[in-house]
Amino acid sequence: MRTRLESCLQSIDRVLLGKELQVRLALTCLLARGHLLLEDLPGMGKTTLSHALARVLGLGFQRIQFTADLLPGDILGTSVFDRESGQFVFYPGPIFAELILADEINRATPKSQSALLEAMEEGQVTIEGATRPLPAPFFVIATQNPVSQGGTFALPESQLDRFLMRLSLGYPARAAERALLMGGSGRQRLPELAPILDHALLAEIQAEIPRVRVSDALVDYVLRLVEATRSQPQFAWGLSPRGSLALLAASRAWAFLAGRDYVIPEDVQAVLPAVAGHRLRERADPAGHGGGTLVQWLLREVAAV
Amino acid sequence: MTAAQSGAALQPIPRVGLTWLLIAQLLVILPHLGHLPAWIVGLWLGCAGWRIQIFRMRAPYPNGRVKAALMLGTGLGVYLSRGGPVGLEAGVVLLIAAFVLKLVEVRSRRDALVVVFLGFFALATACLFEDGILAALYYLLPLAALLAALIGLQQSALAANPWATLRLAGGLLLQAAPLMLLLFLFFPRFEPLWTLPGPRERGVTGLSDSMTPGDIAELGRSGELAFRVGFEGPLPERSRLYWRALTLEHFDGRRWSQAPGAQQLEPPAWEKRGEPLAYSIVMQPSNQPWLYSLDVAGSAPDDARLMDDFRLQQRRPVTQPLLYRVVSWPDALREPEGSASALRRALQLPERGNPQSRAWAAELRRRHPQPEALVQALLDHFNREPFHYTLKPPLLGRDSIDEFLFASRQGFCEHFSSAMTFVLRAAGIPARVVTGYQGGEFNPAGNYLLVHQFDAHAWVEYWQPQQGWSAVDPTFQVAPERIERGLQQALGEEQGFLEEAPLSLARYRDIGWLNRLRLSWDNLNYGWQRWVLGYQGEQQLQTLRSWFGNADLRLLGVAAVASVAAMWAVVALWLFKPWRREGDAQQRLFRRFERLLARHGLQRGPGEGPRAFAERAARQLPAQAGAIWAFVVLFEAQRYAGREGAPGELARALRRLRRTLPWRVGSG
Repeated sequence: MRTRLESCLQSIDRVLLGKELQVRLALTCLLARGHLLLEDLPGMGKTTLSHALARVLGLGFQRIQFTADLLPGDILGTSVFDRESGQFVFYPGPIFAELILADEINRATPKSQSALLEAMEEGQVTIEGATRPLPAPFFVIATQNPVSQGGTFALPESQLDRFLMRLSLGYPARAAERALLMGGSGRQRLPELAPILDHALLAEIQAEIPRVRVSDALVDYVLRLVEATRSQPQFAWGLSPRGSLALLAASRAWAFLAGRDYVIPEDVQAVLPAVAGHRLRERADPAGHGGGTLVQWLLREVAAV
Repeated sequence: MTAAQSGAALQPIPRVGLTWLLIAQLLVILPHLGHLPAWIVGLWLGCAGWRIQIFRMRAPYPNGRVKAALMLGTGLGVYLSRGGPVGLEAGVVLLIAAFVLKLVEVRSRRDALVVVFLGFFALATACLFEDGILAALYYLLPLAALLAALIGLQQSALAANPWATLRLAGGLLLQAAPLMLLLFLFFPRFEPLWTLPGPRERGVTGLSDSMTPGDIAELGRSGELAFRVGFEGPLPERSRLYWRALTLEHFDGRRWSQAPGAQQLEPPAWEKRGEPLAYSIVMQPSNQPWLYSLDVAGSAPDDARLMDDFRLQQRRPVTQPLLYRVVSWPDALREPEGSASALRRALQLPERGNPQSRAWAAELRRRHPQPEALVQALLDHFNREPFHYTLKPPLLGRDSIDEFLFASRQGFCEHFSSAMTFVLRAAGIPARVVTGYQGGEFNPAGNYLLVHQFDAHAWVEYWQPQQGWSAVDPTFQVAPERIERGLQQALGEEQGFLEEAPLSLARYRDIGWLNRLRLSWDNLNYGWQRWVLGYQGEQQLQTLRSWFGNADLRLLGVAAVASVAAMWAVVALWLFKPWRREGDAQQRLFRRFERLLARHGLQRGPGEGPRAFAERAARQLPAQAGAIWAFVVLFEAQRYAGREGAPGELARALRRLRRTLPWRVGSG
């Protein structure tokens, strides 16, 4: 099972060069049943990553391009009157897919954003009075562009909190970019990717994650981290209980990916920047982007043992 | 201090906490005002103002230089105004100054807690100066304010509401009341291990250890209380109430003082006769070591001894109200044999002076060879001749006895007793002056006697073979109403009673309701002193004995101490939870592992996980990498994977690592 996961990672790494850590975190996020927010400049490989994940894991993929005139119905689907049967027939929207890429989510109006975010939270959608379950697994990768914010609706903190992780891919390293330019990789190779997992296996793995052992000593460490965010003066506000649950779930998935059935402090530290970064703000800059330096402070100062 | 600690300590002070702190400070300092130098009050006002300005962000915190200057100035001020850093008063001034100054540099909650605790301590020292019933009631106010400040300093929902804070503080005080009562009843009162210097009461009025004409008349103008007496039987007649303080045997022609030999401790010989009188006395502080009693005190309180002139004296001066019980034998026969040294002292006269009196004494002696007859003749003389009892006698010259007996014939009790003793001695009869108090005011509200300073009196004792010492009072011959009814009646209308003490309530005894009020209030104070302040030592033992029968009190004390210790043990267990430390054997071993590697230059940062640390250590010490990994893997397995493993296994891994490392002593 773990060898399969490792080969998944290797496959994706062949497409997305030099981003092993981000790929591993993205897979961790999925295994922990969380949603992912990718924040990066255009052209950094966000779509490639989503596609590659979908293909390798054998998931149905849909892409929703968020624009200012996108309506909730465009995401969820609408009922259309069928003259022959004399009934309304529901045409499901793009959200009824297993892996959704919500591209440039901050371009849509808050109304459309919240339609997606509600679906993410509930795992089901209610359209015209009928509740329809979303497929399982259901995994959303939303992207947003940190620059050129004109005419966008930034996600408020409450909605950021619903993403398990926030990642940014960043520029590729020199060697990776050279390989890219030489045509050895990139989106062209996407069709070469073969599904390595199937639904059943993915569900099995996801069910395995909560059984990863978390000892008292480790919970103490997580509590120390969370308490530090709540009591230290440089934090504008602390991590929510949802945040601490997310931290623990992600740590478990990371430990599982690393081939262990127990969590060690290093697992927590590995996922902390991605899990906590978008949930924390500096007191000096509460409207800012998030707590890179705060997370570094937590990693450095909070006693790990 | 790491950033985490400083962050926790630097919690700001809420407004409510600061407000209550300022109020509490005012309330704590108020009872101290009587013995504080004025500059402390100025210092306090300045500091409080500064503190408020800091809170309003109009003024900065004091910097190091200002603080040092303030500290030096305060120390110097204490030194100058109290003559040194030693002694209770100087200590209290220093304490209050610290209490006041600390307020200015209070930045965080921890500093404010220091101020609150200083306040509690300063309040406790106030009890050393004033422990009356009103003061005790008043102390509840600063106590509540200090508690309110303590509550207000905590970040809670109450932090915004001063009244809710005060209400909670009051509730806490009420809850503490039963505990206080229990401690009051059962907590043993230990004798202090060191002598606590009592407050130096300036201007305590009372008898002194010598007597010149006019001294007691001076006391006659004071309405202050000297002591209170509760009799266990019926109240004896007023004319029998001669409260002995001390005996004056040495006369230098003008001044009567204690003979140097009287300080020797030599129990006098006496025989019990007649019926005893039992009573207890609550004495006001006199700053003198002698106690008051009726003759002859058969049982003395623990700390006191009966001296050879029949006075009671304790080792230390009475600086606190003192409760003691005495059984006296008024009809006892005192020193029928007479000790040679005592008789020699009782016949001492100055070489020269008062020739007229000496001649008269010789003549009396010739006419009345029996001492009793001579004494009677003297008393008759005072009764028959136009002697006048007055608070304002004319000043007397060098031969004071002559002038008084044959010229002025106006005097107060000290004139009469001094003249009579002189004449008796000149006639060869051993005699001495006794000073003390006579009579007292009966308080029907509490069934006890109030003895004031204006009841101060002096009378005469003379000695004759077989009969021993007997007391006579020449004042009785001149002004019998002084003995039978009291000074106010004796002075009559023309001489104002307590006219220099217009605020003394005792002056207005004629106004019925005021007098009743005064006596009831005094009764309350009497009860307070007897049952609250006086509840210690013997009295506590007696009370406890009456409740627990004759149980072994030492056992009871041990049980009390043991139960308190048990209570503390439970609290300590609850606080420190030693059973939680069981899993921390791993942590202890990990700390040892860290120290071991620290000696080889590897410091683990607080946020560095065990595995990351091991990786770094293995890179730096490649030769020991195997042992390092062995320990860390085992540690991880036990601590995080939940693998059962004895701590011994981990300790063995650590020992193996230690053996592979070169031996080095370092900072570890």
